[in-house]
Amino acid sequence: MENILQIKNLTKSFGKQEVLKGINLNIQKGEVICIIGPSGSGKSTLLRCLNILEEPDSGQIIFEDNDLTSVDTNLDELRTKIGMVFQNFNLFNNLNVLDNCTLGQIKVLKRNKKEATEIAISFLKKVEMQDFIYKNVNSLSGGQKQRVAISRALAMNPNIMLFDEPTSALDPEMVGDVLNVMRDLAKSGMTMIVVTHEMNFAIEAADKVVFMDEGKILEINKPEIIFNNPQEKRTREFLRRVIDKK
Amino acid sequence: MDLLTKVMPPGFIEGVWFLIKEYLPLFLDGIKYTIIISLSGTIIGLLLAIIITPIKIQTISKRDKKIMLILKRVSIFLTTSYVEILRGTPMMVQAAIFYYGLRGIGVDLSLNFLGIFTIPGIIVSGILIVSINTSAYIIEVLRGSINAIDKGQMEAARSLGMTRRQAMLKIIIPQALKNSIPAIGNEFVINIKDTSVLSIIAVTELFYMTKRVNSIYFRQTEGFVIAAIFYLILTFTTTRILYWLSNKLSNTKEKKQVSFPTSQSY
Repeated sequence: MENILQIKNLTKSFGKQEVLKGINLNIQKGEVICIIGPSGSGKSTLLRCLNILEEPDSGQIIFEDNDLTSVDTNLDELRTKIGMVFQNFNLFNNLNVLDNCTLGQIKVLKRNKKEATEIAISFLKKVEMQDFIYKNVNSLSGGQKQRVAISRALAMNPNIMLFDEPTSALDPEMVGDVLNVMRDLAKSGMTMIVVTHEMNFAIEAADKVVFMDEGKILEINKPEIIFNNPQEKRTREFLRRVIDKK
Repeated sequence: MDLLTKVMPPGFIEGVWFLIKEYLPLFLDGIKYTIIISLSGTIIGLLLAIIITPIKIQTISKRDKKIMLILKRVSIFLTTSYVEILRGTPMMVQAAIFYYGLRGIGVDLSLNFLGIFTIPGIIVSGILIVSINTSAYIIEVLRGSINAIDKGQMEAARSLGMTRRQAMLKIIIPQALKNSIPAIGNEFVINIKDTSVLSIIAVTELFYMTKRVNSIYFRQTEGFVIAAIFYLILTFTTTRILYWLSNKLSNTKEKKQVSFPTSQSY
């Protein structure tokens, strides 16, 4: 299998605090990777480094043969191929649902309005939001917003999707809808990196689970091994606490 | 002169009535220019601010090329100086420097529209001074509104591959502008009052016209009281119109209370 994304020795500090202490990770085309770990372990920072929303301090991120950390890389072009879904949705508040999904296509990919609209609607249909296309995004529920956000990212035809705790800001009854969309997406063969606290999703959908703690990757394994027979003491402790809570 | 054929009564109230009855056209002429200058000054100031604000709040990234970096630093310095100088000096002084400076080098600002009508140079000067001065205040208003917008909006736009400029124009500035409407309206109200300082360069706005009326009978109080009443009518009506407009523009269902303080409180 070919690597779509290689992370080599990535470090990032905020002031004196080292958040990422040398991350190495290879992601293959079509893989679904779930990143778990306690809060403050650097999961979200790692994900935000992958499309340079945070500028890493050192190390390399090779995405389809381009080094994203190099200053000569055309970031804007490569970012269209890296979809991102945020914890707080970050839908554009001044636009309706449809315009949220077409703006990037028109401005960045230079698609014409008609084509962009057709593509947007086809993705909105997949997440069952086609009846809301002229709605103001502020009138939607959290689950609806997140499904629109996923459509917005998918409409750019990305080769990889990053999910930064996509269900953490949702009411419990909305979580299922969003996870279903993500499950379908995983089945369709999309490469996905998901930072999540939803252990059930990790068990079902992930090809690999990455356990992070204190800025390091402690364990990478198949979900059945991580959840049934974790190799690291810290992983075991973390999972015991998480699963006890439920 | 027939202006002096009538005698102004000695009492205060009678004096006020007399001036209003006899010289209303002069006051109205002043009011006309006060409205023209403050309204167009606010609109042009807003447009200037929309252009300048994104330059002032550029961010420097390590991915910038060397020339870009220098350009950014210089433009940030220039725009910051622009705001600091204009906010840090009185508009009356700015007006004097602008007007006498231009007159010194012999520039005539009068505008002629296809020979149909002409705007006198002095009025154009007044509009320009108010525009430039107002732009500095609106830049700070917009900067505040832009900073108040959730960082996630910019991040989402950038993650789609949009440039910073595209994100600013399509996402950030439209939201910031909407949030700034009350503050920009407030600038307009302030301008209605502050155009009075333009009397120093003989712009024929309300205050200047009042002084002209006063000088006919060498009586001051009556005329200035009339001016005060007219200013109050202007600002009061304007705040009500702005209040109504802003309720209309906010598409939220519940009517939010928006206040337009009429004092330069910041």
